[in-house]
Amino acid sequence: METDDLSAHIHSLDPAVGLRAVGALHRLAEQVEAAQVRAARQQGWTWEQIGDALGVSRQSVHAKYRE
Amino acid sequence: MFERFADDTRKIVGFAMDEARCSGDKRLGTDHLLLGALHDPGPAGLLGVTLDQARAAAARLDRTALASIGIDAHGFERVPMPSRGKKPPFSSGARSVMEGMLRYAMDQKSRQITTANLLLSLLDCEEHDPAAVLLKELGVDRAVVRRRVLSS
Repeated sequence: METDDLSAHIHSLDPAVGLRAVGALHRLAEQVEAAQVRAARQQGWTWEQIGDALGVSRQSVHAKYRE
Repeated sequence: MFERFADDTRKIVGFAMDEARCSGDKRLGTDHLLLGALHDPGPAGLLGVTLDQARAAAARLDRTALASIGIDAHGFERVPMPSRGKKPPFSSGARSVMEGMLRYAMDQKSRQITTANLLLSLLDCEEHDPAAVLLKELGVDRAVVRRRVLSS
């Protein structure tokens, strides 16, 4: 889908579908984050490096994902 | 109110918490209460739906919604989510379901809040509610299930 088409399309979406998509995006983001934080730790990234990459504090990533 | 929960009702709320966490949701919603209830063979039998079917239906709704904004999430496999971090709080819809089941228990003059009370309250969820959307996707006839619960 072209960018222009997509923005026009998003404006015309049924909110039931559009709002569900937002929820699904949040869920997808959490899943991708969990997988990538795990991969980064296995490759030796520090909590600080992961936090910086995600734009959150070292403490919050550590509290959420420490083994 | 939680101290009045029957053991199986309490377990369902625990399973609902797991479902919310595993899907990466920030709140425990009515859809998670429904999935939690399906961990118990009693409610699953009354609804005529399995836990796997319901999870697949929820994933299908997500994929369709994502496709509508140009995101193809087909083939994305769920990963184990961390069990640490704070417990997701109840959504306002989930709190209403809790209040509803308390009312059903009081109407029956029952001291305990049973899984039947929980199911009846879930069946009351209105249009756009996540549990109602999931029941619709699963093709569950709410009137039929309500009668089944009341006569069980």
